[in-house]
Amino acid sequence: MTTLLAAAGQVHGPSVEYGSLLPILILAGGAIVTIFVSLIGGRAAQRLLTPITAIVTLVSAGVVFAVRIGEPDISILGGALALDDVSAIFDLLFVSAALCASVLVWRSDTLREAGAGEFFSLLITTVLGMAILVSATNLVTFFLGFELFSIPLYVLCAADLRRNTSLEAGLKYLLIGSLGSAVLLYGLSMIYGATGHTDYASIARAVSLPALRDDPLLLAGVALTLAGLAFKASVAPFHQWTPDVYQGAPTPVAAFMAVATKFAVIAVLLRVGMQALGPAREHWEVMVAMLATVTIFVGNIGALRQESLKRMLAYSGVAQVGYVLAGIVAGTWLGVYAIGFYLFAYLAMNIGPFAVIATRERSGAGDGMRGMRNLGREAPWLAWPMTICMLALAGLPVTAGFVGKLLLMQAAIDGHYAWLAVMIALGSAISLGYYLRVVAAIWMPSAVRDEVFGDGTRSGTSALAGAAPEADAARHPELVALAVTAAAASVLFGFYPRPLLELARILAYAGGQLIF
Amino acid sequence: MVQLLFFMAAIGAIGGALAVVLLRNPFFSVLALVVHLMALSVLFLLLHAEFLAAAQLIVYAGAVMVLYVFVVSYVGGADELLAEAGVARKLAPVFGVVLLFAFSLAIGGSALKALDTRGADLPAGFGSPAQIGELLLTRFLLPFEIASFLLTIAAVGAVLLARRRRGLEEVDDVSGDGGVV
Repeated sequence: MTTLLAAAGQVHGPSVEYGSLLPILILAGGAIVTIFVSLIGGRAAQRLLTPITAIVTLVSAGVVFAVRIGEPDISILGGALALDDVSAIFDLLFVSAALCASVLVWRSDTLREAGAGEFFSLLITTVLGMAILVSATNLVTFFLGFELFSIPLYVLCAADLRRNTSLEAGLKYLLIGSLGSAVLLYGLSMIYGATGHTDYASIARAVSLPALRDDPLLLAGVALTLAGLAFKASVAPFHQWTPDVYQGAPTPVAAFMAVATKFAVIAVLLRVGMQALGPAREHWEVMVAMLATVTIFVGNIGALRQESLKRMLAYSGVAQVGYVLAGIVAGTWLGVYAIGFYLFAYLAMNIGPFAVIATRERSGAGDGMRGMRNLGREAPWLAWPMTICMLALAGLPVTAGFVGKLLLMQAAIDGHYAWLAVMIALGSAISLGYYLRVVAAIWMPSAVRDEVFGDGTRSGTSALAGAAPEADAARHPELVALAVTAAAASVLFGFYPRPLLELARILAYAGGQLIF
Repeated sequence: MVQLLFFMAAIGAIGGALAVVLLRNPFFSVLALVVHLMALSVLFLLLHAEFLAAAQLIVYAGAVMVLYVFVVSYVGGADELLAEAGVARKLAPVFGVVLLFAFSLAIGGSALKALDTRGADLPAGFGSPAQIGELLLTRFLLPFEIASFLLTIAAVGAVLLARRRRGLEEVDDVSGDGGVV
């Protein structure tokens, strides 16, 4: 006993800097408080108090993250977490995505099925996991952060408990996601085995030694780690689960996954790829370039024949990740700069369509291409945002998507991957095929449309499309507002990209410091 | 003695893992998994990871496997085959063998170099419960806390999913105005 006490006297825990830990504490505390708030009182508490608690949590965490941008880098808890501009900017992206998802879910049936407290608590935890993931400077923290955002997402996918497709999506995501995590963990353990370290900085030092130049164990570890991350970001050929899961999952959750999980993986690629494995970049650079090419083509071609908009957006998301990977491949200041801009633009361009789909789904029209018909005439407030976001995703000039793609292509060329820039251009050309199809469905008069699509369901359309679209546009003002905001942002940052470019510059500067 | 123990444990681990995959009866598969996990814990012991070996026995071979046995006995259905063997299923063994070859090359390539050495230089007390405990309170304090939070939130998720079993409360105004407050 006395020896134990003596030993205990010698152990000094790391100093806990509560001030710097604040956003993490807000998120962790908020996740717990939200559950307790949902226990208060009756329905009013469930419907109003809980979402407000969740949104207050997210907003306050977001404010703290935003304030941190530009502050000097610090490393807290004995070097366990790095709080720099890279993590601050990505945290801001995660929080924004979660806020959009909160608006999408606010008055939906999903919230009643799953219980507001549980749903928001899981959503906040995903953000917490992602925040830890991007700040991690250690493989152990990295993996735990990874699981902390994955496991709540598996449950959230199945949150529409009454709908079998939602349960199927949850199960599929759980199985594939666990496989991805297992592959990732295997890869991480091999990296540890080869280098003998779990800290990113020590790994980078070990990797830069000539002894590990062509170490097969390290190479296998890097390959498996990439594969594990590719599962999560739905990089082809690890993307097969994506359309099924997005289609089955509740739309707010699909919207959140479509943006936030991809951002998280990109952030990890920046940190682990450039910091820990930076010295070994000639090994994985080509690997990622190949993956990017395959991803661009598989995503764009897969999206062409989709009738469900959520499936189409899933494939389009696959393709978009391919474009962003080009920035990672380039690995230069410009590459990170382009990624920074593109991710913010991507957030706006993707949330808009999901908000429109959510509105159509609530009126019983489903997420099919048919729900879009005549939208131009009947609900311009839904039709315009959808059109603008589709054009922005396709990368048409004067949209943020155009500026983003231009920057990414420039980065690829600058990083001696000109062929990858060509792939991006080719992919964008193919993508017009499906983005414009949606636009056509929205605006074309039905006679012309029947000629084009030739499916002869003209008389049945309005019945299939459910309630009148203009009515549900008025009934869901928050969704319409979100869609309009997203579309406005997609155009505004195409005209006036300076604010986003400023954020991208900060990210690129911080990213440049990561490069060993 | 150490060599003998190593080869016995290694054969047990590989044999157990093969049996898990090859046996048709899930109950036997679970038992084979127990054999595999026990053999692994012997390997951990040989690597001076006493705590890990004990944890492996108690947590995996003990607690988790009991859970598996329960699930298998509840669900049963030993003779239900999963699905028709599609093209993907026929290709799977090919990919498996290729991957096995690649990883053997990778691990062998690094491991063979270490054959004549005495292994890594470990500080005294490496892997002892005291040192692991100290690490969890100092260097890995944050991961330790995250893990506990992860368990909490997993429980919340489980409660959410378990609602389906308990029966959902009536959703009264699904077709209504979306419940404007």
